[in-house]
Amino acid sequence: MKKHFVGEKAEKTVYAILAIATFFLAWAFITTFTAAGETTPGPVEVLKLLVDSFFEPIGRFTLYGHLYYSIRRVLVGYVVAAVLGIIVGIAMGTSRYAEAIIKPIFELIRPIPPIAWIPLVILWFGVGELPKYAIIFIGSFTNVTLNAYTGAQRVDPTLIGCAKMLGTSDRDIFLRVVLPSSLPQIFAGMQVALSTAWMAVLAAEMIGAQEGCGWIILRGSDTTNIPLVLVGMVVIGVVGLLLATIMRMAERRLCSWNRMDV
Amino acid sequence: MEQNGRIDHSIISLEHVSKRFESAGRVKEVVNDVSLEVKENEFVVLFGPGQCGKTTMINLIAGLEPASGGTVTVDGKKVEGPGADRGVVYQTTALFPFCTVMGNVEFGPKSRGIDKKTRRERAQYFINLVGLEGFEKSYPNQLSGGMRQRVGIARAYCNDPKVMLMDEPFGHLDAQTRYMMEEELEKIWQKEKRTVVFVTNNIEEAIYLADRIILLTNCPTSIKEEYIVDLPRPRSYVDPEFLKLRKTILDNTEETL
Ligand SMILES: Nc1ncnc2c1ncn2[C@@H]1O[C@H](COP(=O)(O)OP(=O)(O)OP(=O)(O)O)[C@@H](O)[C@H]1O
Ligand SMILES: [Mg+2]
Repeated sequence: MKKHFVGEKAEKTVYAILAIATFFLAWAFITTFTAAGETTPGPVEVLKLLVDSFFEPIGRFTLYGHLYYSIRRVLVGYVVAAVLGIIVGIAMGTSRYAEAIIKPIFELIRPIPPIAWIPLVILWFGVGELPKYAIIFIGSFTNVTLNAYTGAQRVDPTLIGCAKMLGTSDRDIFLRVVLPSSLPQIFAGMQVALSTAWMAVLAAEMIGAQEGCGWIILRGSDTTNIPLVLVGMVVIGVVGLLLATIMRMAERRLCSWNRMDV
Repeated sequence: MEQNGRIDHSIISLEHVSKRFESAGRVKEVVNDVSLEVKENEFVVLFGPGQCGKTTMINLIAGLEPASGGTVTVDGKKVEGPGADRGVVYQTTALFPFCTVMGNVEFGPKSRGIDKKTRRERAQYFINLVGLEGFEKSYPNQLSGGMRQRVGIARAYCNDPKVMLMDEPFGHLDAQTRYMMEEELEKIWQKEKRTVVFVTNNIEEAIYLADRIILLTNCPTSIKEEYIVDLPRPRSYVDPEFLKLRKTILDNTEETL
């Protein structure tokens, strides 16, 4: 069974590599042999620029610097959103009144894209780091909250009764029953939220940034440097993929009880 | 409690207990004036047709539902809410899915702040007693139905309750596993004597396990009859006395509505 599992994993990795290779080949093919090549740089050019940017600065920093700023912004906004979102979501899920009051507001705010908030956020927080955190926060908060809410709402009431019969205090019921019961759902929300938080990095760096992965795209766009735009896009894509993978691994560890196949 | 001049050693006592559910303006009478005394270490089976109010009676003793009338007393204290002096084994497994077998069994002692070494030893004892040695680190979704109910029994025992309330714990098991679990439970109970109130709608199970069978009527349920079972243990399902009692009780049992 273990062996089978390893085999399956290796097989999936092979497919993933093949899929990505096919994507790059198709990109190379289209830019080499069609008219698209006149406007759009091919993968070789972009990858070369990408590698160079680790050593030669774009604007004030090399790619390391840009990655540092973007990841920092996203993590700060995201962590605050996750912590607050879990608390608010569980409160909504366990209290009828919180639900009735807060839920409609969330459903209303959720479809508004982070980018739409930029003017207001600048008005409230100026143009430093704070408004960038705020945009990331906006991009991830509702997803965490609504999932935590669903998770807490679905806690089996028998389990709560059961914990009470075993002499568990209300505080322990929250920590040892409600929270772990909602964990798979909370994780699902945190996973989606991390993706949307990272997606919001471009919007965040529209606010007076001089660095960051989103800023690279903006800079490329301003100077009609299309290879630079594509470098920004590739970096955002790869980092997003890595973040999602890390989250999945954390979920595997923390919610192993929820999987039927172990 | 003193009644008619005789000292009563009952540990559970229901006095004129009734229960009504009111929902959307409709009143549903479920338990109708039940009075019952259970002695210390007695194995009492509540035997009644489906949907008659058996789970409701368990919930009343557990304190998970308040009585609409009358009083429930356990070990001299009026029941006013859930409490660790009553252990419950549920109709559905109701294990904590995010805790291992060990985590489930030690849940009660941990809640009550018992130090790790003591509670682990205690939990291990009951895990072994129910025959789950080696499965301490398994999660409930990795266990069979019978094994889950074993965990449920160990979890209730490990918290050292004054009384055990078991609501059709074997109701969802296949016939084979069910017989096995009945034998196991009897052995466990012989080894670790507790007062048990056990609910079932299976007559063989009732006679196999009970010191006393309380026959319940349809909803709203009340006590129809009581039978003392003083056959020697472990009992045989094909013993003529067993079969005679089975017929007597079934003849007196109401059809499920
Ligand atoms: N919370 C509740 N609100 C309203 N009605 C309820 C509630 N709980 C139980 N009832 C009703 O009380 C009756 C008895 O339910 P109960 O679950 O106690 O029966 P039971 O004998 O345990 O049934 P089963 O054989 O299915 O285990 C049912 O008709 C049910 O609909
Ligand atoms: Mg029931």
